[in-house]
Amino acid sequence: MTDILIILLGTSMLYVFAVSRIEAYVKTLAFQGFLLFLLVIIDIQEIDWLNIAFLSLETLVIKTMVIPYFLFTVIRKNEIAREVEPYITQFYSLIIASAIFIFGFVAAFWAATTNAGIKPLYFGVSIMLIVSSLFLIVNRKTIITHILCYMMLENGIFLLSLSVANELPLLVNLGVLLDLFVGVYLFVIFFNKIQEMYDGSRIDELTDLKDE
Amino acid sequence: MIALVLVLPVCLGVCSLIAKNRLVNRIALIGTAMVYVAVPFAQGMNIVWTVQPSWLTTYFQFDTIGLYFFCIMTVVFCSAAVYSLFYFKIHALSAKQEALYVLEILLFVVSMSGVILSTHLALLWVFVEASTLTSAMLIYFEKKKSSLEAAWKYVFICSIGIALAFVGIIVLSIGSRHIDSFFFRDLYARATEINPFWLKVSFAFIFVGLGTKIGVAPIHAWLPDAHSEAPSPVSALLSGALLNSALLGLLRVQEIFIRARLDSFSNFLFLITGMLSLMVSAVFMLRLKNYKRMLAYSSIENMGILFIGIALGRYGLFAALLHTLAHSLSKASLFLTSGNILYFYKTKKIDEVNGLLKTDPRTGWLWIVSMLAIVGFPPFPIFISKFLIIKAFWLNGMSWLAIPFFLFVVVVMYGMGSTVFKMAFGDSPRTTAVHSKLPASAFVPQLVLLIILCLIALHMPRQVMDVLHGATIFFQ
Repeated sequence: MTDILIILLGTSMLYVFAVSRIEAYVKTLAFQGFLLFLLVIIDIQEIDWLNIAFLSLETLVIKTMVIPYFLFTVIRKNEIAREVEPYITQFYSLIIASAIFIFGFVAAFWAATTNAGIKPLYFGVSIMLIVSSLFLIVNRKTIITHILCYMMLENGIFLLSLSVANELPLLVNLGVLLDLFVGVYLFVIFFNKIQEMYDGSRIDELTDLKDE
Repeated sequence: MIALVLVLPVCLGVCSLIAKNRLVNRIALIGTAMVYVAVPFAQGMNIVWTVQPSWLTTYFQFDTIGLYFFCIMTVVFCSAAVYSLFYFKIHALSAKQEALYVLEILLFVVSMSGVILSTHLALLWVFVEASTLTSAMLIYFEKKKSSLEAAWKYVFICSIGIALAFVGIIVLSIGSRHIDSFFFRDLYARATEINPFWLKVSFAFIFVGLGTKIGVAPIHAWLPDAHSEAPSPVSALLSGALLNSALLGLLRVQEIFIRARLDSFSNFLFLITGMLSLMVSAVFMLRLKNYKRMLAYSSIENMGILFIGIALGRYGLFAALLHTLAHSLSKASLFLTSGNILYFYKTKKIDEVNGLLKTDPRTGWLWIVSMLAIVGFPPFPIFISKFLIIKAFWLNGMSWLAIPFFLFVVVVMYGMGSTVFKMAFGDSPRTTAVHSKLPASAFVPQLVLLIILCLIALHMPRQVMDVLHGATIFFQ
């Protein structure tokens, strides 16, 4: 069951590579949050209830509902429909995405052979999520996509932390979540300001500051 | 004590935001600065606070190196706090804007203190990210188009970098499963038990993550923009305190390597990035057109020197730590003085600033003397630290590397010197000549910083020496 969920997570990332409508990105983000929630409740049995409660709150409420809803309202308000032309065309992006996917599986196989006690599939797919979100950030031009891909990067990191059983203290977990939440909030504030001041939100318009 | 450092400023900041009163704002800002000054003294006199929750002392502690970095941050913060009074005046901020500024700057200082005092690796990460978020608001404080661009680049690049550092922390937990703790004391005590492969992988991630925050090449893209666009007192804090706090995080991780006897690997990374940072700043220093960006590139150079000092092991560490102190104080003085220049000339362009000594002799001399302090003229301590680093090259049998080091340092010295002298001398344009007299808050902080620097180099007080020595014995 968990394997299917993880494969779905990986596939959702491939889907992001293929679409250009921003709303589809947000829906995928919410979907990923929900998959992570299912993973948390299905797969982890041994940690204490406080941590389970916290993790499910984080994934179900914050990652699946609050942040996607927040981003949805921003997108609706600013009437951004789709991603303007990426630096590399969709076709080549998909080829690169497949390469990253294969790399993730190689990492999973490799992790299975080492004796480090990591869950191979979790590890491989999380590597794939992290690398492909970084690639998407570099390859996309609109700022809102950057924010969405940053969230996907965070999902990848969350999955990676699930692949290792070690637990962080609750205080630290709370801090991490607070940082993430404030971070997204701040991104959106800046995004709105950039919309106002630059009359657009493409990263290649932010070129006032340079060394000459 | 720790509650005073971490909780009191937040309370004062919130009070000033609620009160929206100029007097309350000043009390909150200067009051926090005074409390911060008192804390190291209380620590030195071993005054122990009896009522503090145990979880607070579990997660936050003053160790020897933490105390040293805290002292540096406090000096820079005090000078920035006093200079902020001048900043309030020249920008004619309303009480509400002042209150917002005070709250943001206090949150920023608290998050940096959190980084310095954390005893837990993941908690340190939390505060590093918090310091990014709080300082981003300050960079955008003047609400200009350019500062928005700088703040966006800063917050986004650093957040990605710091996210990668978190990957490093998770990877470290793979290698240290049986330790099952991220407290530094456990990691140090059982460093040899950590799987070397995972430790190295995790270091690569943490190095990139915190390196982004420290602003070393090639991951320095945000630094010149953010430092040049922030209000001058904030630039002083960014350069003099924020970079150091991230550096301390990296030093704490480096100690794991020293104890695991893997420091040859981490030293190599420190050396390469250090040299690269020196080279990048030397190349850019000669073609800059904005004097605040010049100071930012000088920060990249000095972070490079620090990295080289760390890479040179026990011979270079003392030099690196002394350099941290000297760089922070000199750079804070330069950034604060650049605020005066901006006030007189209303431009950041080097070409449009001439005859600073005639426009305002005090600002002119502060600008020249602070420049001499940062490039390492005697009697300033950067001369000693650079000299010790060259000596450390020798003692490590890498004397040939001292040649490019010396060359880059000289190029930066020439670049900064020629710019600063060009700005200081010559005729003052008429439009900027007549101005009201500067209040004391516009030049006393810099003067005090420069006097402290001279004292450190000529006759270091025993207490300062003790704290510095304490910081060096942190490393095994």
